[in-house]
Amino acid sequence: MKNDARPSSGAILVRDLGVRYNLRLTRRTTIKGDLSNFIRRRDVGPQHFWALRHFDLHVAPGESLGVLGPNGAGKSTLLLALAGILDPTEGQVRVRGRVSTLLTLGAGFEMDLSGRDNIDLVAALLGIDHKRVVELTPGIIEFADIGAFIDAPVKTYSTGMRARLGFSIATAVKPDILLLDEVLGTGDQTFRDRSQQRIHDLMDQAKAIVLVTHDLNSVAEFCTRAILMEQGQLIYEGTPADTVDLYRQRGEERKLLAEREGGRFTA
Amino acid sequence: MRRAADRGLGSADVAPEPLTLLPDLSLQYRRGHVARLEAAPSRTGGLNDSHATLPTRMSDFAPDLALGETRRPGFARRWAQLAQRGVVDLWSRQRLIRYMVGAEMKRTHADTVIGQIWWILDPILQVVVYFLVFGIIFKRTTPDFLLFLLSGVLPWKWFSSAIGETMGSVVARQSLVRQVPFPKIVLPVSSTLASTVSFIIGLISLALVFLLYLHRLTFWILFLPYIALVQFVFTLSLAIVLSAANAFYRDVSNVMQHVLRLWFYVSPILYTVDDLPKSPTVHFLFMLNPFAVLLSAYHTVIWGTADGAAQGPPDLVALTVLLALSCVALLVAIAIFKRVEPAFARIL
Repeated sequence: MKNDARPSSGAILVRDLGVRYNLRLTRRTTIKGDLSNFIRRRDVGPQHFWALRHFDLHVAPGESLGVLGPNGAGKSTLLLALAGILDPTEGQVRVRGRVSTLLTLGAGFEMDLSGRDNIDLVAALLGIDHKRVVELTPGIIEFADIGAFIDAPVKTYSTGMRARLGFSIATAVKPDILLLDEVLGTGDQTFRDRSQQRIHDLMDQAKAIVLVTHDLNSVAEFCTRAILMEQGQLIYEGTPADTVDLYRQRGEERKLLAEREGGRFTA
Repeated sequence: MRRAADRGLGSADVAPEPLTLLPDLSLQYRRGHVARLEAAPSRTGGLNDSHATLPTRMSDFAPDLALGETRRPGFARRWAQLAQRGVVDLWSRQRLIRYMVGAEMKRTHADTVIGQIWWILDPILQVVVYFLVFGIIFKRTTPDFLLFLLSGVLPWKWFSSAIGETMGSVVARQSLVRQVPFPKIVLPVSSTLASTVSFIIGLISLALVFLLYLHRLTFWILFLPYIALVQFVFTLSLAIVLSAANAFYRDVSNVMQHVLRLWFYVSPILYTVDDLPKSPTVHFLFMLNPFAVLLSAYHTVIWGTADGAAQGPPDLVALTVLLALSCVALLVAIAIFKRVEPAFARIL
């Protein structure tokens, strides 16, 4: 990576992004189900679902962007598209620099392998050069701070230990762009403090961060800017404090709305 | 009051998009109404200024990333590129494949008492069962029946376990597929390679059985790696396609179970080609089955012929034709896999 030398190389541009899921093929479809629906001409409802549509976004180097929104707003889909896991159905996503995803801590761990072997495995999965992995391993082990467990199979780990090792690997690579999905605040207080310190370090090094969370405090704490999403669209963009306020307000509104609707049905 | 304003937005000039899956919260915004102004409360209006000052085109702050138009290449070109990308993926991720094979080897039999010894014991026990059923109950008179059975059962076991394991390899790693960007083609390939390692270790059982039939041991056995190579390429191409198909339709694995069973019986594993009716048509049709070619070759170099005659060279022409066809099939399989790969994260 030639870009590594330049600290300000992290940047994200999303232009008119749309991600569409095909409901027909999603989850446990069988040929029989398809056939019977076809033969009976049953109305199977919408075949497609746009999780994101006409979505524009940019993140400048050094920025930390918080993404807020109710469940199903498309936040996770946005991260998947930024990470390159989902291809856009329409529009374009450009991400400059090395992206590290922490969508789920400990994704890719093999339960029968030791922590040390899993560092190698996950690093290879993320496409990190082997020489760098060898250099980084002591630091990863030290930061994860799980003691002698590093040589024990991961299946013997507690959830917190797994998360610590996962966090340690994902942030050790000094990514230009770090994508986080609801992963802060795992582990005990000591590890929380240290992971927050590391996030701050990454931000200081002019890396871009996109953080999806429902924890409004961490948005205020970590983010320099925040957006609010609803139903696959960007509806607000501003300072973390303002966005959190709007998010709260709309949450209240939704609750009132639901109560009113619920009242109508039960009346 | 704001809700009334929202309604106005939804009904007056804008036809709301049907978002039937989501509860109607009166929050729909039409294309172009990425409603920074409309939806934001008035006190945040000032923020739109900050938005205006931010660069809106990548070329403003990263000229080399300006979004460009790309021309779509022709059909043949596109598929060739897909195959090429798949091969490059595999080549550049050798280390990952090695780790994944290692992890798979560690997982199989990790919780059993005698662990890896099962790889050697499994085929021997299977062959003993066939020997009891066909050699003793049905009184088959094939000479050195145990060696004959093992020379067919070992490669078949490799094939069926490779197909069985690989078929589910993408689906089994669905959480990984959804969470980490990596070339998914390493999944079926490492799965098939893991089965291959088991096969190679299982060859120890062949060596053990040979101790009983030392008079059958000849130099022709040196052709074994070539036959295995042909089988490997054939198996891999089929396994890659099936692993992709299974991600879309889980029926594939159910169907394949029965296809494999039928395939087992139409292949010369429990019988020899000589047991078939002596008709050129039958023989020709029979030999269209790649496993008829492969297993006859295994039999020829390991066991010999029914009349106890010496082993000989395998049918090299048939094997080489099969190898060439399998190589083409493998490239097609890789291209198909690469073609559907982007959909995996979406459907799993």
